[in-house]
Amino acid sequence: MRMISRKNTDRLIAWLSLAITIIAIIPLLWIIGCVFANGASAINLEFLTDTPAPYGESGGGVANAILGTLVINTMASLFGIPIGVLTGMYLSEYASSGKFSSVIRASVESFSGVPSIIFGIFAFTLIVTTVQHYTALAASFALGLMMVPIVAKATEESMRVVSDDMREAAIALGIPKWARTVKIVLGVARGGVITGSLLAFARISGETAPLLFTSLFSFYWPTGIDQPMATLQVLIYNFALSGYPDRVLQAWGASLLLVILVVAINVVVKFATRPKYKEGV
Amino acid sequence: MTNDSVKLDILKLDAWFGDKQALKGISLRIKPKTVTAVIGPSGCGKSTFIRCINRMHELTPGNKVAGTILLDGADIYNDMDSMDVRRKVGMVFQKPNPFPNMSIADNVVAGLKLIDAADKKELEEMAKENLKAVGLWKEVENDLKKSGASLSGGQQQRLCIARALAMRPEIILMDEPTSALDPASTAKIEELVKALKTETTVIIITHNVQQAARISDMTAFFYLGELIEYDETRSIFESPKSPLTERYITGRFG
Repeated sequence: MRMISRKNTDRLIAWLSLAITIIAIIPLLWIIGCVFANGASAINLEFLTDTPAPYGESGGGVANAILGTLVINTMASLFGIPIGVLTGMYLSEYASSGKFSSVIRASVESFSGVPSIIFGIFAFTLIVTTVQHYTALAASFALGLMMVPIVAKATEESMRVVSDDMREAAIALGIPKWARTVKIVLGVARGGVITGSLLAFARISGETAPLLFTSLFSFYWPTGIDQPMATLQVLIYNFALSGYPDRVLQAWGASLLLVILVVAINVVVKFATRPKYKEGV
Repeated sequence: MTNDSVKLDILKLDAWFGDKQALKGISLRIKPKTVTAVIGPSGCGKSTFIRCINRMHELTPGNKVAGTILLDGADIYNDMDSMDVRRKVGMVFQKPNPFPNMSIADNVVAGLKLIDAADKKELEEMAKENLKAVGLWKEVENDLKKSGASLSGGQQQRLCIARALAMRPEIILMDEPTSALDPASTAKIEELVKALKTETTVIIITHNVQQAARISDMTAFFYLGELIEYDETRSIFESPKSPLTERYITGRFG
């Protein structure tokens, strides 16, 4: 009797969790399906290679925004990933249990909870108001800052789980600490660091608020990294609210491109975290 | 007082874990190109002893060392930098620990590569030479680019010995190097240890007294942090002076 009721409880929990998982997945699939259904028809060669058409004219593309997103994200990564990796490395290998490190650790924690618009306003105040015009550099600065805590935490955690056997082996060989940290511990942890960096990249690819304060938008090809620059995110924001059916369609298309970008990054993460060497003899 | 027949001169060595004393006044002399076995029950200070010889004991905060260790007459605690000590005194651990992020060849020369950047050709030569020295070359010749972690346990341990040998150490410390291995791999490592003493001096901890009898010239028996008896291996096994030693090697405790 007891046995049966235990089995029933087991089954109930299994079904319940499955049902709730499905309910949770529905909105996600809905969003992706919606973006595909509405955006797929917008995508053609012109859309991928041309700049936006003037208001009232049909056609045109979002190529300048694709380029802008890639340029701004790349610059943000060049700035955010090294700082994040070094911070994580410090926390894992150098920080003692003292007050200073706990302050840094707490800062990194709360840093990752700061709303993205705050990063935008910060970059706006610091850079845009100083140089007196919108600039892609300020956007990269804001997004790069957002990457730091994500990369730092991923680096710290993946370095921490590296077995002390590795550190001891390196110490016993007389390898100095910097080389142990960078070549051995970071080397062993590289999969986690790459994953964290790519996830940070994916995360900033969806940010719009910081860009409204920094790179703003442009209808033309980028002329320099110190100039306003179009991005897919701001283009979606502008076009979706424009009221022109052509533009709204293009906003759907741009959304689809962003979704594809993020999915692509996740696929790359899967590949990047595969072991470098083949296991087994 | 440099004496050609003394490689390592240990004088009144004490070691502590925090307040707990793990070694009490250990004094012994080790001759060059010999194999010395360190035996004794768990917790007797064997590992602490060898970790004092490459200055790894002091790495844990709170640990302390007192006394003198002379390597070829140089005081390793006062006359030498800890990193230099570790380059001259290599170590092989109980659990094989190749670097999984490096290929087999790179594992062998990891120390050389990360300390003084040697040229590529030279490193390849060194990798080959040391893999041959541990009898691993034939087995991995075609897999040099594979991860060190892809090898079997016994092969990994020989790879770790090759990695230590590549530094051309004066002394090699081994902390129960075969306790995680199958009998066939153990036999290979034992042969290797015997061969190593033509080039270097080996100090090996073992829980297996037969192993000590098979491979060592000298045996040191430790008990509760003290050196009870240190003599030629044959004397230790044939006519131990201390009843404690006799009881341990005949398996009556430990």
